[in-house]
Amino acid sequence: MHDDDFRARLRAFLVEHHPGRRPKDRTERLAWQKAWLAKLFDAGYAGPSWPREYGGMDLSFARQVIYQEEYAKARVPGPLGTGLGIAAPTLVKYGTAEQKERYLRPMLRGDAVWAQGYSEPDAGSDLPALRTTARREGDEYIVNGQKVWTSSGDIADVLFTLVRTGTPASRQHGISYLLVDAHAPGVTVRPLRDLTGDAHFCEIFFTDVRVPVADRVGEENGGWPLVRTSLGHERAAGAMNQAARYRRVLDELIELAHERGATADPLVRARLADFEMRVRIMRYTGMRTIADILARGEPGPASSTSRLFVVTFEQDLHEFAVDLLGPYGMLGRDDPHAVQRGRWVWGFLRTRASTIGAGTAEIQRNTIAEQLLGLPRDPAMPPSSR
Amino acid sequence: MIAFTEEQEDLRAVVRRFLADRADVRARLDSGEGHDLAVWRQLADQLGLPGIAVPEEYGGSGGGPVELGIVLEEMGRVLLPSPFFATVALVGQALTASGDDAAKSRWLPGIADGSLTATLAVAEESGRATDLTTTATGGTLSGTKMFVVDGHTADLLLVVARTGLFAVEGTAPGVTRTRLETLDRTRRLARIDFDGAPAVPIGESPPRKALDLAVVALAAEQVGGAQACLDMAVGHAKVRVQFDRPIGTFQAIKHKCADMLLAIEAARSAVYHAASAGDELPVAASVAGAYCSVAFTHAAKENIQIHGGVGYTWEHDAHRYLKRAKSSEQLFGAPAAHRARLADLVGI
Ligand SMILES: Cc1cc2nc3c(=O)[nH]c(=O)nc-3n(C[C@H](O)[C@H](O)[C@H](O)COP(=O)(O)OP(=O)(O)OC[C@H]3O[C@@H](n4cnc5c(N)ncnc54)[C@H](O)[C@@H]3O)c2cc1C
Repeated sequence: MHDDDFRARLRAFLVEHHPGRRPKDRTERLAWQKAWLAKLFDAGYAGPSWPREYGGMDLSFARQVIYQEEYAKARVPGPLGTGLGIAAPTLVKYGTAEQKERYLRPMLRGDAVWAQGYSEPDAGSDLPALRTTARREGDEYIVNGQKVWTSSGDIADVLFTLVRTGTPASRQHGISYLLVDAHAPGVTVRPLRDLTGDAHFCEIFFTDVRVPVADRVGEENGGWPLVRTSLGHERAAGAMNQAARYRRVLDELIELAHERGATADPLVRARLADFEMRVRIMRYTGMRTIADILARGEPGPASSTSRLFVVTFEQDLHEFAVDLLGPYGMLGRDDPHAVQRGRWVWGFLRTRASTIGAGTAEIQRNTIAEQLLGLPRDPAMPPSSR
Repeated sequence: MIAFTEEQEDLRAVVRRFLADRADVRARLDSGEGHDLAVWRQLADQLGLPGIAVPEEYGGSGGGPVELGIVLEEMGRVLLPSPFFATVALVGQALTASGDDAAKSRWLPGIADGSLTATLAVAEESGRATDLTTTATGGTLSGTKMFVVDGHTADLLLVVARTGLFAVEGTAPGVTRTRLETLDRTRRLARIDFDGAPAVPIGESPPRKALDLAVVALAAEQVGGAQACLDMAVGHAKVRVQFDRPIGTFQAIKHKCADMLLAIEAARSAVYHAASAGDELPVAASVAGAYCSVAFTHAAKENIQIHGGVGYTWEHDAHRYLKRAKSSEQLFGAPAAHRARLADLVGI
């Protein structure tokens, strides 16, 4: 099949089976999204980068990019939970045959939602400080402790967690990677409201939770190196998805600025032009990364800096949008006068998380400085932090 | 979008090696020309670089903006004072793109073999490339051009006038050239007064494309300059010890370096795209023009900061990069002007 045919077929599928408007009710929304993911999987359109043996599409890199672009344009629901990008590659690389067989397909089909239980109240950036313990008793671990800021924790079926199996002082040398059944006795999940007013993440308490040793991924006390596994290539293709999405968002913002007559102001025009420039550079960088991968099998340094580029962009963009709304920027999402159902104001709040979640911007800068530029390590930091 | 071919990577390596051996910037700054003619001859005779973006039928090697960009990036790294930028990047490209066969066969072979130097005269006393007052009538040109790169030495002057692009011999009657005192002493600028100087019209279309190509060429040079600043800063941060630690272990320093890299990588994306943009050149040139000069100035400032007192010292090269960066911001339109143009082009 030719690439263009592939694009056309995928697009046709996404348009024809589009699940329609997002239900407001949480429970309905979950069912709506699960139904969509199952349909995608059953039609053979799930997991663009995944091996076929786990139900994926095993696409060439060029096709992955097409997939991501079309997916972004189609405005269909994305994956549920946070397992796909992070836990799945870890399983593929380090999991046992049974673990792969048991867990990968249901994750991909959306039948089992996965959430990441790494962070703890006293272990955020300093993940090696984590204290949730797993004590071995025969062929089970007994897990006790607390996790926090767990995205999608409230809808999760499986929690991929880091737990302490070594001594309290063992830092990153005493950590194991454990898959915990979110419905097991002793697991308490409590939604945490975030500053947008939504409950996007949760806190999770473990009280004598029994986890089979067979659900440990990798060696006992050997969990730390697994933290960083992710699909570099998939991320690169995902960058095109993001560039496509922000192209659309910026066009909508420019439209809004025109409607409000704001583009007569040269300062507004200059700011919009700045975003235009950045959204284009975002795309150029994605294309460059792809060209590098196709030519050399490796993404260059730009793929590592592009995340910082994007998060700064999205924060600036949304804050500017709020400024553009003037006094309407003071209205919450539920007010009938809110402009475009409050999306810009919500985005302004939501993107505060961009420089915190999945490793803060400061930690990313440390990583870039040490790993890309070869600057000497900060003596206080573990060898490979998030 | 490009990933560089092996030939292109080889070109980069050859140019880098050549420049590393010869580009002692300081030695040539105070000569009358502002550059070293021997190096220019070597560039031409040994490497054939002046012909890099000239079509083969005119004696060049038939490359394009991509190859040229590679060379300029390397020259930007060492702040090479050289007629290369004006002759090859400004005029060579402008002539090649002009669609004027007579002009091409008259001047391109000389550019390609390095026997002819040239420059592009754009801005006027207003400092802008718009509202031009230079006019051509009956085969002669009158007006004043400012900030002309290497304008005091170039053999051939390509002049952007109200009605199009014109060629004037540098030593023609009616041409008065005055060297300007420049902030960036690695790039000489001149004022040129034309008083009924004999002029030849080039092509028929307005010279906008020549300007866009100039912007992209400059942006490539800026990426090289910014990268040199980052390299210097990182090198220093690894060896300079304070409080018993290399300063590179301090996050304040690490983060500055990481942010420099971010800006440089984004600038690279903008330039590499623009160099292969085709029909999208006007937009891509505006993006590159708006982003790259800011990135370079940022890197140049941070480099001085990371070097501390050493960075503020005349003997250290850091200040030369700052001066090149700040001057380059204005050379073919300030970042704000590029953003304004981008806004126009995309309908903001
Ligand atoms: C929306 C959202 C979703 C999240 N989802 C999940 C999830 O699903 N699963 C999960 O496990 N976690 C999740 N997190 C948690 C996230 O990973 C942590 O918040 C993050 O790692 C930072 O940790 P912290 O909040 O404890 O901040 P801290 O580590 O306390 O940092 C506070 C400040 O100090 C700075 N700082 C800390 N250490 C250093 C250092 N060494 N150098 C320089 N600066 C430093 C930080 O950059 C930050 O500015 C989520 C967070 C958010 C906001």
